[in-house]
Amino acid sequence: MTHPSPKSEFIQGIMDQLPLQLGVVPFGLVFGVLGMASGLSAWQTILMSSVIFGGASQVVFAQLWMAGAAPIIVGSSVAVLNLRHVLYSVAVAKYLRLLSLRWRILLGYLLTDEAFAISIKRFEHDPTPRNAHYHLLGSGVTLWAFWQLSTIAGVVLGATLPAHLNLDFAIPMTFIAIVLPSLRHVPHVLAAVSSGLVAVFGQSLPYNLWIIAAAITGIVIGAQAEKWKAQQ
Amino acid sequence: MEGATMIWAIMIVTGFATFLMRFSMFSGLIHRALPPALDRYLTYVPIAVLSAIIAASVFISHETQMPTIWNTRVLAAVLAMAVAFRTKSVIATLIAGLGVLWVLENLF
Repeated sequence: MTHPSPKSEFIQGIMDQLPLQLGVVPFGLVFGVLGMASGLSAWQTILMSSVIFGGASQVVFAQLWMAGAAPIIVGSSVAVLNLRHVLYSVAVAKYLRLLSLRWRILLGYLLTDEAFAISIKRFEHDPTPRNAHYHLLGSGVTLWAFWQLSTIAGVVLGATLPAHLNLDFAIPMTFIAIVLPSLRHVPHVLAAVSSGLVAVFGQSLPYNLWIIAAAITGIVIGAQAEKWKAQQ
Repeated sequence: MEGATMIWAIMIVTGFATFLMRFSMFSGLIHRALPPALDRYLTYVPIAVLSAIIAASVFISHETQMPTIWNTRVLAAVLAMAVAFRTKSVIATLIAGLGVLWVLENLF
């Protein structure tokens, strides 16, 4: 079997990633606007997109900071939200294990939801991929560039956007677009509903603990429901 | 620590933690697969966390800070959910949610 060259893998990664930018760009814009509105400086908002490089967790960071949450709560909420990346890491590990440390560090940094979603298909398509890591590099770099540019655009535009547009409402709308299509089984729905209920009625919990309490409730109820369902 | 320094500190620590989670399984340090139970729990992380944020931003009134099931944001969100379910499109959901909210708040 012939293997595509590194260059053609890299370009294919870019091409496969481009359609997803339709959703990434508005999300980045909204984060840029929200970051500034929540009291972060322009530099903090822009650099967070490189340092954390995780859309939903950056939004949570900004919202909790704006609400005056303690640093430990902000930090652990971001960490809980990003735990899912361990799953992506598991899934791609067998394809990346033999690469040099430098490659593995770079691809680890680029392993976001979107890059994973696109490149895992490439990896699974060919059981012994020789240059497929260039595909992940291409899709990861593409996402990175669009995320940085749309964050910067949001920071620049933020000051000029009128308040009556309710742009903060774009965050839950973006999440609705992500979560709703992923509710495929009853346990998923139970996880979503139970987490939502704790979030709404746990608002008075001290230290903004509601987000962690809601997340743990949803995760445990969803996973237990799935287990019971499988045993029946 | 003052506010700005604290933001940088949290950002760098959580950024490094996020990197470690992404890098963990091909870091060369972990050779075992995840136990199936942990794997099952992890798959519910995105749904649970994102639902919490959605619920808090939709069902908490901006005026009273109390739970509500009847205001413009709830109406807009319900419509956006229908659009998300049918189209699976971020753009369409954003337009539906923000558009309905704008109409409700500015025309009535």
